[in-house]
Amino acid sequence: MSHPIRLEVAERELGTGLTLMAVRNPGVPTFACAMSLDIRAADEPDDAPGLANLVGECLDEGTRHYDALELAAAAERIGAVMEGNHRGGVVMCPAVAQKDAIALLTEMTLAPQFPGREVRRVQAEILTEIKADEDDPRAVAARRFRKEIYGEHPLGRPTQGTLKGVAKLRPKDLRAFHDEWFRPAGGLVAAAGPDDPEKMLDRMEKAFRGFKGKAQKHISPPGVDLPATGRDAHLPMAREQVHVFLGHLGIRRTHPDFYVLSVMDHVLGTGPGFTSRCSRKLRDEQGLCYAVSAGIAASAGEEPGMFTAYIGTSPEHRQRAIDGFLEEIRRIRHEPVSAQELQDVKDYLTGSFVFGLERNSNLAAYAIRARRFGLGYDYLQRYPDIIRAITVEQVRAAAERHLHPEKLVVVSAGAS
Amino acid sequence: MDAMTTTMLPDVEVVELDNGFKALLVARGPLPVVASVLWYRVGSRDERTGETGVSHFLEHMMFKGTEAFAKGQIDLQTSKMGGSNNAFTDNDGTAYYFTLAADRWEKALEIEASRMRDCLLDPQEFASEKNVVLEELAMGEDDPWRPLYQATESLLYQVHPYHHPVIGWREDLERLSAQQMRDYYRRNYGPNRAFLVVVGAIDRSRTAQRIRELFGQLPRATEREAPIQEPTQLGERRATLRTPHSVTRLCIGFRTCRMGSRDDYALDVLSHDLGNSKNSRLYRRLVREHELVTEVSVMNETRQDPGSLLILCELRDGVSPAEVERAIREEIHRQQEEGIAKKDRERILAQIRASFLFQDESVLDLAMKLGRFEAGTPAGYRTLADVLPTYESLSQKELRDVAQRYLDFDRAAVVWAVPGDKAAKAGGKPSNAGKPKKAKAAPPAEAAAAAAGKRKAKKKGKRA
Repeated sequence: MSHPIRLEVAERELGTGLTLMAVRNPGVPTFACAMSLDIRAADEPDDAPGLANLVGECLDEGTRHYDALELAAAAERIGAVMEGNHRGGVVMCPAVAQKDAIALLTEMTLAPQFPGREVRRVQAEILTEIKADEDDPRAVAARRFRKEIYGEHPLGRPTQGTLKGVAKLRPKDLRAFHDEWFRPAGGLVAAAGPDDPEKMLDRMEKAFRGFKGKAQKHISPPGVDLPATGRDAHLPMAREQVHVFLGHLGIRRTHPDFYVLSVMDHVLGTGPGFTSRCSRKLRDEQGLCYAVSAGIAASAGEEPGMFTAYIGTSPEHRQRAIDGFLEEIRRIRHEPVSAQELQDVKDYLTGSFVFGLERNSNLAAYAIRARRFGLGYDYLQRYPDIIRAITVEQVRAAAERHLHPEKLVVVSAGAS
Repeated sequence: MDAMTTTMLPDVEVVELDNGFKALLVARGPLPVVASVLWYRVGSRDERTGETGVSHFLEHMMFKGTEAFAKGQIDLQTSKMGGSNNAFTDNDGTAYYFTLAADRWEKALEIEASRMRDCLLDPQEFASEKNVVLEELAMGEDDPWRPLYQATESLLYQVHPYHHPVIGWREDLERLSAQQMRDYYRRNYGPNRAFLVVVGAIDRSRTAQRIRELFGQLPRATEREAPIQEPTQLGERRATLRTPHSVTRLCIGFRTCRMGSRDDYALDVLSHDLGNSKNSRLYRRLVREHELVTEVSVMNETRQDPGSLLILCELRDGVSPAEVERAIREEIHRQQEEGIAKKDRERILAQIRASFLFQDESVLDLAMKLGRFEAGTPAGYRTLADVLPTYESLSQKELRDVAQRYLDFDRAAVVWAVPGDKAAKAGGKPSNAGKPKKAKAAPPAEAAAAAAGKRKAKKKGKRA
């Protein structure tokens, strides 16, 4: 896209430390509002894996003014779709219903009651899902891969928790976690819709006026580093395919190499269609798989993400696929990408980001991301120039700095 | 809800060419983006014995080069233009779509015109891509839901080609030759079997002119053969799949009606009442009150020929399958007797109206909505003008009658997937070789998952 995109965004920080944001999207009469509080992976107690997830899942299972069915019916009556998560939640609705929708989001996130019967039911559902995931070789491999990368860091835990951990959680644990961590300080709430942003902020301020509480001190997670050497594990399961994950620790979203690595990812393994080297080689030329990818930037967050290469293939192709990834990782570290490849990726990235701005839920998520990582609301205007300025040598140097073929963790599950 | 009603049928300019090609053009802003969808009335129903899966496999090959765009160029050029492309195949059709910036989207027209008749179908590429399709099939076989879904469909349709999976039977795919695909392509792909939808920041008269230039001279394909009628089912059909999974799952299917018929709208409302929210009958009874299953969903999958209504659920540990089945039968019976209370009907209609509105948020979703109605209903995209009034006009008696007519266990397929030693080899429906989500009132995936009270959306995939 040659013309810069200017979004009409307004922001208001309340005395409680909660920041409200509103983005105007004149396109369609729909509305979205998302809440993301300052709750981090390490805030979940070590001995209660899955607690934060269970809290998010149970937010809509009964609140101060509604039981679970009443809350769902209240949302459905206005055409809203609402979902809780461990940092808050999101609601989407027709724009005419936005006032009621914000009120319901507030009720769900700030006044959940965690009734015992409902918590036990959701807990049992999650336990069945964990069991179902243990049947799924892709999920099994992904879970073990994460553990191998993060070790004892809280990100090494499965988000849903473990069978043992989830089974022992009680409603009082959920209430205590909510009381302790659902606080306004450092929290972000963003709305997007067709109205004037200041008006949206007024509505939100009114709704969140009663949200009070002192800031909590976060616990610093243990450090996490690259392994000294690589390792390879295979978990056999009776299936048609084998799912292979290969990678190591990645970067934070605020790392100065983030944009260069985004470009590198597209050359290496996340480009659309068969434009990336890994998909061209492993799928298009060798026909080894249906699904293949490799990248480091997409998982970058407040904590370091992961460099992850993934392929689902037949067991006889496992080693060939791993060798193919390795060859491409080594190549991008040593050999500059061609000027044409770089230009192709720049054209894609500077043209495609506009498609993320169509839906109100995406716009709300964008505002939250821009604020959380200090990108600035003019980030979208600057983004094309940031990408255009990246050089061939920067890509090679970043690949050399951040990809470590000798320290790769390989985990696979499925057919042997 | 005026704003909603007006967006249901946007201002569409229709371009019709002498060779049978048709284009629907919608100009809309404010973002400088365009979506184009080229929809072929060619799907797995058009496959002959022994060539199942060729429609979906051909969809893959359509990205592997044409006379004008060498192998790799379609993806590369799309990417260089900052856009994306993809495709899906279902029982009735195959759709190819692009999203591109408004100042360069017309390249999509050139690509589509080129591959309508001049796809290379190179034998070497064919051999390599066959491996990819077989990997995709294997992925589906490992999925706990797809073999269950497919077994239900295969029981419901014994004569009609809806019987076979969109991705095809492995045995057919392994034997399929490049020549068979070429014959299929020549026979079915042409301007009279396709239509185009373009939505976004376009100049409509310029677009119409370009469409005439690019598609006007293309030769027609063979007309579609008359559909085979599925005979009346005479009794309940059942199957049990022994799977390598440790969780028991159930799928109950009923054969229903055509997309766009009045009964189809009633079935949408009935399926919402049965299973697509926390307040639905099955969710309340099975998930909440009796705690028998972890999730339940109901899909009204109407198609060009009578489609199906499917109930899927995943059992909690230690629960008796008979108890689950009995509860579902009782709830359906209750719905047939009681109909749907007025307040519940209003709540469901608000959800349906909103789901249509959410589809207008992106140019691609709006283009897909127009495409689904153009492809699937006798009155085409114009049906959209009647959609909300039709939902609203459904009477209590009509809903009860439709529930009694279609949700009849004497004409159901009941398939259990139970933990066992043998892996199920029932084939599968690939993630993008499937229907364009739901037949009509399709909310965004995340909204659908949330509405169904599910913790995880079912896995989705993509061609490329």
